[in-house]
Formats: sequence, C-alpha cells, structure tokens
Amino acid sequence: MAAKAEDASTAAAVGKAVMVVGIDDSEHSFYALQWTLLHFFSPAVRPSESYKLVIVTAKPTPTSVISVASPGAADVLPFVESDLRKISSQVIEKAKDICAAHSVLDVEYEVVEGDARNVLCEAVDKHHAEMLVVGSHGYGAIKRAVLGSVSDYCAHHAHCTVMIVKKPKPKH
Amino acid sequence: MEETKEPVATEGREKMTVLVAVDESEGSLYALSWALDNLFVAAVGGAPNKPQPLGRLVLVHAQQPLQQFIMHPIGPAVYATSSVIDSVKKAQEQNSRDVIERAKGICRRRLVEAEAVVVAGDPKETICQAAEQMQTDLLVVGSRGLSKIRRAILGSVSDYCAHHANCPVLIVKPPKTSH
Repeated sequence: MAAKAEDASTAAAVGKAVMVVGIDDSEHSFYALQWTLLHFFSPAVRPSESYKLVIVTAKPTPTSVISVASPGAADVLPFVESDLRKISSQVIEKAKDICAAHSVLDVEYEVVEGDARNVLCEAVDKHHAEMLVVGSHGYGAIKRAVLGSVSDYCAHHAHCTVMIVKKPKPKH
Repeated sequence: MEETKEPVATEGREKMTVLVAVDESEGSLYALSWALDNLFVAAVGGAPNKPQPLGRLVLVHAQQPLQQFIMHPIGPAVYATSSVIDSVKKAQEQNSRDVIERAKGICRRRLVEAEAVVVAGDPKETICQAAEQMQTDLLVVGSRGLSKIRRAILGSVSDYCAHHANCPVLIVKPPKTSH
C-alpha cells in the first residue's frame, strides 16, 4: 500500500472529496457508518467513487480514564493502556468488516490518541475533508451537559459540513 | 454487543428523501447548493445524462407566526387594524414565495426537481415535524456559525434540529472566507 502522504495527494489530484467518519465502540456509530455507506457508497449510486472515506477512531489517553491521584494508579496504567488499544483495534476491525460488506475498498483507517472532539476536528483539517459524519448517542439535554457531546462539539467546531446520523428511536 | 440486523439491508440506495430548510439567509441557500452538488448531481466526470433521479428533494420554508410583528412590548399599545394584519400577511407570503422561487431556481439550474412546502410556526419545531411527517432520510440545514453565547440567546435552528429530528441531520457551514 502506498504511503499515506501519497494517498492524500493522489486523492487531491484526482479531485475526490474526503469524507471523515468518526466512530467509537458504540452501536450508534456503527449504525452511522452503515447508514453512510448505504446512502453514499452503495454500488447503485456510486458515481465514479465520489468520496474517499477516512474512518477515524479516537483512543482516549489512559490518564483521562482513571484519576492519576488514586493509589496504585501507576500500576494500573499499562493495563488500561493495553485495554484501550485493544478496544480501538476491535473498533477498526469491525469497521473494516462493515466496509467490506458494502464492498467499499478505498478506505483509510486511523486510530488517533486524544479526546474524541479534538481528534475528529483535527482529522477534518488534516485531510481537508468535505464532510464529517458522526453518530449520536441521543442523550437528553442534561446528559449532554454533564457528559459532553462529541457530535455537538463537532457540529459547531469542525471546519466542514457535519452530518449527524441518529439511530431511529423505536417508537413501536 | 449483539448484531442487530438492520431492516434496511443491502438494497442499495433507494430514492432518498432529502429535506432542505431554506429561509432568506445566504447560509441556507449555500446549504441548498452544497446539498445539490454533493447529493444529487451524478458523476463529476462521468456520463452527464443520468436520467435516474437520485432522490426526492423537498424544500421547506418556515413562516414566522404573525404575532411577532404586531406585538410591540415597547411604546404605546398599537391596535392592529385588520388592514395592517392583511398587509403584513401579504408581505410575509410574498417573502416566502420569493425565498421558495430563489431556492427552486437554484435547483433548476442544476436540473434537479424539487418540491416546496411552506410551514407556519416556529422554524425549529415545524421543520422537525415536517421531517417526521415526510419520513425524510436526511435533513439539511445551514448554519450561521454563531458563537456559543449568541446561540444560547438567539437560539439555533440547526442546533435544535440536530438534537430533536428523528432522522440524520446534515449541517452545512458557510464557506470559510479566508482563502
């Protein structure tokens, strides 16, 4: 596989717009990925591969997950780190499977360490993306205020069009 | 995590219903152009004569309720005569028609058929309701790029839609002026 830098420049030369899809290990983001593939990349509609897909998952730093001040934190850190790494690679594997199932082959996968909000916005800048796609946990207003919403942050701070894909609420 | 079999399956993209919210602002018309260029126009360098429609485009324009123009909290209470109400209503309708015409013109230039719907009421809620009633697959809104505080005070339609719409929401930002 050619180097990433080459890929980016050839993509730009060909004039393909870049679409960044942010995923984590939740059902919502895989739903968002599937929805996007179905509606933007399906063979019935793929007009000469209009988008180049970049799938980004943010790996939280171990220090952000556990409070460093707690006793024995230093001992736990390496386990947390390897656990986080395992989760991220599982996420990427699942994403690869989904893309293969929809026969989308021109995909770049990235695992970036850091807070999801910043990681996604930086990925948009780095790839000069035309569009950013994120899932949404569908939190209510209070949960959103407390837990923070990545989709909210990205919708306001990303430098490109943002698409928020939600899992339809089961109304039956 | 169990695999939930989505009923959508692999039917390929069927006719996608896309709802685009338009108003007088440049941001929403830019959003419409962006949506047309990226969602409805066939291959950039491929066969230009692709007769199959890629989806159903619906333009929705929300008309503000009339009271806002009549109720003035400052100054003397103005009794709105029926002629005033009528002329304001007419002006509003003309305004809506202009917006829809402009939006339709943009669609026509790209050879895309569009339906238009005018809804009355608070834009936030009515747009989300319209999206639900028409079973849209994607709701497209522009964004004014307001800062956090302004957004809290003025209210943001794109924000509200992003949180309350039942379908995926696409927020188109105005193009960066610095190049």
